[in-house]
Amino acid sequence: MQLRKIFKLVSEDTMKFQSEIAASLMLIGLAIVGQACAPASTSKPTSSLPPPAADSSRSAGAGEGQRGPTKDSTVGKSSLDDLKTGKAPVTPPSSPLKDVFFGFDRSDLSADARSVLRANADWLKTNPAVRVEIEGHCDERGTSEYNLALGAKRAQAAREYLATLGVASQRLSTTSYGEEIPLCKEANESCWKQNRRARFVITPTRPAS
Amino acid sequence: MMRKFLLCFSFAILAAHANTARAAVTGEIVGQGGQKFPIAVSPLKILSAVSSDVARLSTGIADAMIHDLELSGWFKVLDRGAYIEDAQKTGITLGAFDCKDWSAIGAEGLVKGGFSVQGEDITVELRLFDVYQNKERVGKRYTGRVRDFRRIAHKFVDEIINQFTGIPGVFNTRIAYVSNSGGRFKEIYVSHLDGSEKFQVTDNHTINLSPSWSSDGRSILYSSFKERNQTLYLFELFSGKEVKFTPRGSGKYLSGKLSPDGQSVVATLESAGNSNLYLLDRSGNVIRRLTEAAGIEVSPSWSPDGKQIIFVSDRSGSPQLYIFDLSDGKTRRLTYNGNYNTSPEWSPKGDRIVYTGRVGSRFAIFSISVDGGEARKLTSESADSEDPTWSPDGRFIAFASNRAGRYHLYVMQASGENQRRLTGSGGDDTKPSWSPRLD
Repeated sequence: MQLRKIFKLVSEDTMKFQSEIAASLMLIGLAIVGQACAPASTSKPTSSLPPPAADSSRSAGAGEGQRGPTKDSTVGKSSLDDLKTGKAPVTPPSSPLKDVFFGFDRSDLSADARSVLRANADWLKTNPAVRVEIEGHCDERGTSEYNLALGAKRAQAAREYLATLGVASQRLSTTSYGEEIPLCKEANESCWKQNRRARFVITPTRPAS
Repeated sequence: MMRKFLLCFSFAILAAHANTARAAVTGEIVGQGGQKFPIAVSPLKILSAVSSDVARLSTGIADAMIHDLELSGWFKVLDRGAYIEDAQKTGITLGAFDCKDWSAIGAEGLVKGGFSVQGEDITVELRLFDVYQNKERVGKRYTGRVRDFRRIAHKFVDEIINQFTGIPGVFNTRIAYVSNSGGRFKEIYVSHLDGSEKFQVTDNHTINLSPSWSSDGRSILYSSFKERNQTLYLFELFSGKEVKFTPRGSGKYLSGKLSPDGQSVVATLESAGNSNLYLLDRSGNVIRRLTEAAGIEVSPSWSPDGKQIIFVSDRSGSPQLYIFDLSDGKTRRLTYNGNYNTSPEWSPKGDRIVYTGRVGSRFAIFSISVDGGEARKLTSESADSEDPTWSPDGRFIAFASNRAGRYHLYVMQASGENQRRLTGSGGDDTKPSWSPRLD
């Protein structure tokens, strides 16, 4: 609970607090991963910020050892985590894995979606220790249960395409949030199209189950 | 976090007396001239009480009955401001008041009653009179806790409707639904149709969806992300006990419904992007896999005899309704119109299916015969209406609609007439599930 409070403070407030909090976190000896001190996903990334203390070895399980060429291979927050902490489920612009988008009631991949997935696959292949949970999302239209199933199809479509591009499928898990955690909350197409997406969240490395 | 349903459901009906003139007519309720039946509901007479709250109870019980009578769509409740007699100065039995005071204002039916309060307990006596024939139609006496006074009112309205139609009303029932009124999370609530006795079933600060009732009204099956991966939970309202359904492997249970006999659950299991229907026992063990399609098979609902299941499949390329027969394992397609038909529920009478269909860019409630044919559109496409659920007598349908901005729950007659709003929380209220008849 105390931890959640601190997270909230980080998300709501300024960098001035961050160092204090980071220090206090170390003091109380919490094994905390880097994103605790990363800027809130709703805030704009600032180049002057030092890169997050991405230390994947700290959260690493067996088999970890590879380091990617970028410092971005931090464990991400799922959209459910974002909901719990009151943040928008935004994929940060700095994320190496970009969202892909779908048509209404569709789970097939457009040319644009395939292009994004190829870039995601390239990054995943150069960072072979990274595991990803692919989230399927839908816009608010239609009914909840159908959209949960549709989101699952979207996540699976992305997963299968990444697998055909050479990403080991055991590195990829899927989940669906249906229409339940929208990124954009207005009732218009420009908003809905942002919500019909597959999102890629880097998960803590763990031995394959 | 689990909560216990602390409310006591049981009521003692001490005496059903003076019930001599049973209604001779059944069927439609119409007043003279085919209009809604004009009825007056008098404030209750305070018979004996030492509580300071009696004035509130006198009108509160009457108000709860008025709410139900108007919700039914069959009655025109006459405005209290027009009443001539003083309820506290006249009697509540035939001959102890003047029927002309009521016929003069246009009432054909009259509800009168009285109550006494002792500590936490209340005794309420209610009578329905036929003003034109100068007859008592039914009288009942109820005892219960003072705080449950509305439930007494609901039970008597159910009796009034029984007198007129031969089938009791459904106002002593509850609706389970999803609401984000407490903040950004979606939690499950249960309340009476008038919003009273609201009870929060889940409080886990995640997403909880698709509540549905067991046929004995004692348990709620729902899906939740509270343990990260979505699955089903069977929650017992009275004991607070809960059973988690753990899917095999990486599968996830998206939704489910308890069978009419309460012994099994039909559930949607999603695995590797495909959603299929499974029959489970009450502990969540798989009894039988029902569908083998690649794609989406969701939102199952049982026929009242438990022999068939209506569900949504996208096997044709768009979501449509299909009926699965448990005896021969065969499936037949029910809907052919429109390219988006979802969230079906089988009527308690067994003859119709109510569902959500897309009309242009909007969603509306439809009903269709189980034999197919033309569907009836029951709501306007000037706003979205979704997730219909039948009342236990099949005469009403509750649903969620955003016609007033945010999503609220509404009730209408099965014909689509008399659409009335039930809820008005600050958030979105969605996915209603109407309970069976409760004690």
